[in-house]
Amino acid sequence: MSAVSASAPPRQWRDGELAILLLLPIALINAIGFILPVLNLARYSFNRSRIGGGIETVFTWENWAGLLSDRFYLELVFNSVWISLAITLTTLIASYPIALYLHRASGAWRTFLTVLVISPLLTSAVVRTYGWIAILIDDGPVVSAIKAVGLPAPSLMFNIKGVFIGLTEILMPYMILALMAGFGRLDPRVEEAARTLGATPARTFTKVILPLTLPGIALGCLLCFVLAVSSFITPKLMGGGRVFLLATEIYDQAIVTLNWPLASTLSMLVLIVFGAALWAYSVVLRRLD
Amino acid sequence: MTTLKNATRAGLTALALALATSVAAAETVVLTAYSGIFQENYMKAVVEPFMKANPDITVEFYGMPNSAQMLGTLRAQASAPQIDIAIMDVSVAKAATDEGIFAPMDESVTKHLADLYPQARAEGVNAVGVTFDNLVLLYNTDKVKEAPSSWNALWDPQYAKQVSIPAVPDIQGTTLTIITDKMAGGTDYVKSVDAGIKRLEELAPLVQTWEPRPDVYQPISSGTAAIGIGWNARAQVYSDLSNGKLGVVLPEEGSGFQINVIGLVKDGPATDSAKKFIDYALSPETQAAFTEQMFYAPTNSKAAALISEAALKRTAAGAMDKMIDINWLEVAKIRDSITEQWRRRVIPLSR
Repeated sequence: MSAVSASAPPRQWRDGELAILLLLPIALINAIGFILPVLNLARYSFNRSRIGGGIETVFTWENWAGLLSDRFYLELVFNSVWISLAITLTTLIASYPIALYLHRASGAWRTFLTVLVISPLLTSAVVRTYGWIAILIDDGPVVSAIKAVGLPAPSLMFNIKGVFIGLTEILMPYMILALMAGFGRLDPRVEEAARTLGATPARTFTKVILPLTLPGIALGCLLCFVLAVSSFITPKLMGGGRVFLLATEIYDQAIVTLNWPLASTLSMLVLIVFGAALWAYSVVLRRLD
Repeated sequence: MTTLKNATRAGLTALALALATSVAAAETVVLTAYSGIFQENYMKAVVEPFMKANPDITVEFYGMPNSAQMLGTLRAQASAPQIDIAIMDVSVAKAATDEGIFAPMDESVTKHLADLYPQARAEGVNAVGVTFDNLVLLYNTDKVKEAPSSWNALWDPQYAKQVSIPAVPDIQGTTLTIITDKMAGGTDYVKSVDAGIKRLEELAPLVQTWEPRPDVYQPISSGTAAIGIGWNARAQVYSDLSNGKLGVVLPEEGSGFQINVIGLVKDGPATDSAKKFIDYALSPETQAAFTEQMFYAPTNSKAAALISEAALKRTAAGAMDKMIDINWLEVAKIRDSITEQWRRRVIPLSR
């Protein structure tokens, strides 16, 4: 055996052959673990749901037609998209200065701050959500403090405001990490050059820093938008049953009402929204290059 | 030395043989039912005594958080079932029956069928009632000083933004709709629940959350909410665990039942032993034992006589005449319409 391998010349890989061979395992895993289930889900969306949760295997457009003609579901899609976009924007505004500061920091201080940013990810989102409920509830510390100052007490929990605050905090680490990854092109010497040439700090930011960090912004926004659209634990816990989103509705239809065909149709709809987000991202990236 | 070694070897061989034979003789029945406190109490009151009485049968309890997930798992295993018995909500069991998951439930499975209350037998469902539960009023004893006696306490303005209601499609919300409809003068919930929905519209602005998590019992025990609705059996157990913080009342207007049924999975791996377990679970003695343990009302009419007065008082067994007869299979047909009315008329008023 060893004699044979010793005498045989090393196999020459043709271009692409090796790539295909190396990609094969992950392609297989993806095909079995992702593509097949998604196709199955797509098939389910054409089945008919029987009263009480049974499924009739047929081929019908009923679920799709029902979805597109029902105002509740159209509002659901619209709400999910704009709420997720708005949350992405607040996350970006809250995260950008932190990411920029981290990018400029160095040494042990930077490591320490990075660990601080990532540390929320070590606790489950469910636990953090319960934490937010304790903080923001009507007789909790935040509302009590606002009342103590003499301002009218806002209702910050079990409504859309709660979902906003909770999801923004939960998504911030992802946004910061994505921004930092995209800040590679930001060379401090370019900023210094701008300042030496007489640009004000504001002008340096809008004309130099911001354009150079756009790829990071695009990546962070894509990531947070996708995570916001698909998150259901936080909206369920903090929305108090008043905030209807695509992800929470899929949960209700799949787990509570047992209408799997409708849940599948809604899931496919989410996939279409994701597709649109990816397309928008690639358009933005192409423009930037 | 050698003798000792040989002796050890012989001993080990004997032990291995003994284990092998006992494993071969023992049959494993897989039961799926609710995880959490249901599992804990069902193991204690039913499964463990059954295994003691039948040393050749092992019952493996496969807990799942809700009936829908049980149905999902049974569906996925339809061609090669790994589960023998399921305990789930009756309306989900109807779906399972329609899909051919359950084997017929007849005298060959259990001899107790004739002793079950009529509500435990639903037409077109190959499973029979194993527990009766009912909707109750829950309150925090610190925040609500005097125990309420009527569902109307939910509408009391002093508990504004302190009311916790699991909304439809959760069947606790559905049951509340039917009770409210009857209280507001509705005559037939199958035809219309309009009167109930109108009354719930008045409740909406007082509600803190329609989505209490992890369940409705915890926020009320802890005082996050003052008052709400939930299922009796769990409420009674959590009430005992809450040091008296969680109060439980079966209101004077009565309530509605939730029914868990037990079904035999068709072509399961251990059908004969599974039949033995189902028969055991439905026997008056076992039914009585589980009521003592967790305060579900028994489905076997002969069980009540065996239950202590103290435990019986904490179930709906003493108020059977006040219970609204909810036909869950009929409700399944109007569930979408009730959900729609909640979403369009009730919940928007609570924003």
